[in-house]
Amino acid sequence: MSKVRQNVIGTTQSVCPHCLNIISAEKIKDGQDIFLRKVCPDHGEFSLILWRGAPLMEDWVRPKIPYENPSPNSVSSKGCPFDCGLCPEHRQQTCTALLEITNRCNLGCPFCFADSGDQTEDPEVSVIRTWYETLRSSGYTCNVQISGGEPTIRDDLDEIISMGRSMGFRFIQLNTNGIRLASDVSYAKDLKESGLSSVFLQFDGLDDEIYLKLRGASLLETKIRAVRNCERCGLGVILVPTLVPGINTDDIGNIIRFALENLSVVRGVHFQPVSYFGRYPEKPADSSRLTLPELMRMIEAQTDGAIKTENFLPPGCENSLCSFHGNFVLMPSGQLIPLTRGGSCGSFREPEKAEVGACKAREFVAKNWGGVAPAYVCANDSQYDMGYWDTLLSRSRTHLLCVSAMAFQDAWSLDLERLRDCCIHVVAGAGKIIPFCAYNLTGSNGKALYRKKAI
Amino acid sequence: MSDKQRNEKDSQWSCAECGVELTLGSVEVQYMGSRYPADLLRCEKCGQVYVPEELANTKMALIEKLLEDK
Repeated sequence: MSKVRQNVIGTTQSVCPHCLNIISAEKIKDGQDIFLRKVCPDHGEFSLILWRGAPLMEDWVRPKIPYENPSPNSVSSKGCPFDCGLCPEHRQQTCTALLEITNRCNLGCPFCFADSGDQTEDPEVSVIRTWYETLRSSGYTCNVQISGGEPTIRDDLDEIISMGRSMGFRFIQLNTNGIRLASDVSYAKDLKESGLSSVFLQFDGLDDEIYLKLRGASLLETKIRAVRNCERCGLGVILVPTLVPGINTDDIGNIIRFALENLSVVRGVHFQPVSYFGRYPEKPADSSRLTLPELMRMIEAQTDGAIKTENFLPPGCENSLCSFHGNFVLMPSGQLIPLTRGGSCGSFREPEKAEVGACKAREFVAKNWGGVAPAYVCANDSQYDMGYWDTLLSRSRTHLLCVSAMAFQDAWSLDLERLRDCCIHVVAGAGKIIPFCAYNLTGSNGKALYRKKAI
Repeated sequence: MSDKQRNEKDSQWSCAECGVELTLGSVEVQYMGSRYPADLLRCEKCGQVYVPEELANTKMALIEKLLEDK
């Protein structure tokens, strides 16, 4: 331990996974790996892996000048993460707001961050209207994700979507397991006509064994049918795999290949390494965690280098340590052209304004995660043949693949510095806006900090 | 573009330094790590390339945004 103590590279605050009290934490470097170590006076010491290998955590930086919210919804009294609202200490705007319109679900997944499936009464449409109004009062227009539970359980989902659109929200996405979309193309069409922009489809792999383990049912055919029905309706799809080491981390390349074969409907793959909040089978060991740099390297290995680690960038919106993203264009030859590059072109050493990053992220998602746009046509400069560049420009509208990942934080991994930079927020209860990882935070005994109390 | 002299049409540009009429030809265009050929007016003697304002404000601006959109 004395050797480890010498390698403290930073300090932050976290919570005790058992009592959720705030405790101080250290980031400890061991070779190329970074661990989070913390001690609760009542429950002892906790240590877990945060970052394994290259790209190194110290190089994965994108500093931001914090956003100062002119009209916070709560006051700072007990300290982060107990004052969410958002409170004056929060440092970023809302990029995507989640509206959880039900806690009911038509699956009973062993892994579920929302611990869905109970019969809690759904919020009334009038309550959901107040959530939209709360978001409107922020002075900017965020993107919206309708979530749950399984939102398609509700028969008034189209009404909830059209209400949001009529209130000025231009990008509304549906977070779904796809079961209802797969079973009924006319339902998918109704949602599209009500103003739905995009489907955030739970999609854990191309092998039914994966679905049996993660979701308790053979769902591959259902997922593919859901994708087909979205295609028929012009709904863009983002494939969202929850990655659990030993279950589907060997299927990452297959998921990306499926996306590339279906770019007429699939706009991106958004990987979510498993987090241990809500419902999960057992207490996490370090071997149960997949860190962002490992995932980047797995993508490179499983795509035979078509996508490289150097093609991924830290985020301009949320905390650098929370995600990575890269954008790629599939050319007619089958070559995948990266639009994003690290190295000298992708270094972000100069601080950027947090709200500028949030604005860009909202724009990017709204532009690229919806239906496929028509190809670029420009008549008045057609005398100039830009060759490959013309093709790249045109294909960027029709054959763009966004690959990204987000590392959520649980009671073991929580870094309150990161939490204060969060841009994915849940609107709950009487209009409180709560960062996603705070909203879903549960102690080792399953007790939630916010969820099910706020609704 | 101060080293270029404009005639009535883009195709009648000539290089101010060399006095040679620009011709349409394949040149390497590089931006943010991407490097691909494109047909642009160039001076065959010194290699200088002329990018018309119209092209700079349309296709090239879109390509620039595409590669900076991160």
